[in-house]
Amino acid sequence: MSFALHIPQLETERLILRGYDPARDFDRLADFFTSEGSRFFLGPADRYGAWRLACCFVGHWVERGYGLFAIEEKSTGDFTGMVGPWAAETWPEPELAYLLMEDKGGRGYATEAALCARNYIYYDLGWATVASAIEPENTGSIKVAERLGATLDYEHPLPNGGIIHYYRHPGPEALQ
Amino acid sequence: MTLSLDIPRLETDRLILRGPEAADFDPLCAFLMDPVRSAGFGTEKTRSDAWRWFAVNIGHWALHGYGYFTIEMKDTGEAAGISGIWNPEGWPEPEVGWVVFDRYEGLGIAHEAATCARDWAYTTLGFTTLTSNIVPGNTRSVALAERMGAWFERSYDNVHMGAEMLYRHPGPDSLAEGAA
Repeated sequence: MSFALHIPQLETERLILRGYDPARDFDRLADFFTSEGSRFFLGPADRYGAWRLACCFVGHWVERGYGLFAIEEKSTGDFTGMVGPWAAETWPEPELAYLLMEDKGGRGYATEAALCARNYIYYDLGWATVASAIEPENTGSIKVAERLGATLDYEHPLPNGGIIHYYRHPGPEALQ
Repeated sequence: MTLSLDIPRLETDRLILRGPEAADFDPLCAFLMDPVRSAGFGTEKTRSDAWRWFAVNIGHWALHGYGYFTIEMKDTGEAAGISGIWNPEGWPEPEVGWVVFDRYEGLGIAHEAATCARDWAYTTLGFTTLTSNIVPGNTRSVALAERMGAWFERSYDNVHMGAEMLYRHPGPDSLAEGAA
């Protein structure tokens, strides 16, 4: 079985969105997933768990043809987070996911990266709609969704007994 | 960047070892969610978690150039298990692993597949040694490792599985001597 998939490189004013590169990204990704800051993003985990997630991000691209981009800060080259379309098995619909390293917060990076990824979803992948799945206590991510014009659409029960809120983004027509 | 996967198709008498395909997910999921059968491998609680493991394996192939093959029965085309080379973060060293799905136990499939995967790692990937990590009490896997010529080397604490026994496989040189 041979397979090749081109992961595009996208740019915003301050950020580059590109494919995940373990040599450059894994240590910072692992620092994030082993910290309390990852509690809304499948964490916290140990380094093995962080490695699993990183492999899963890559495998997702192969399985779905799209997935999460690594966010790189232009000014420093630092790995800054992950953003992109994500379709976990058994979840109600594909989503626009975003997560930001804790030391890169407060600069509007999540909004800038998610906006770029949303344009990729609408204009490259051709989706007519997208939502972001956010835990109700994750006020930081909710703010980003609201800044992007998304509004609470519905809630979905999680296998662990919790719930997750789907924030619906404005569709491509509304953004024209 | 370009993400590339190049997974060979290997053959034994009765089996084909090939890259994972979407249709393999259901039998794999049934295995991963079965707490008894997957106890020695790592159980996944939900279908969503099991899918993540499926994606992890594909990512492992993309990032390392090796991973778990699907074991396909030549006569029926059915997926009978997985076997391959596995090297997660925190593992002491790469290992050869094997899993046989329900209904395929007791047919020597794991032995045939794992021997094939080990040969491939030695001849194509250029590995000079391999291990298998086995949870204490998993006597079937110990018997298989020993049948492959592996021996108990030490016990250690695996980052994911806890206490495990590390079995060392004969290297490519000693296997070649044995065959001569």
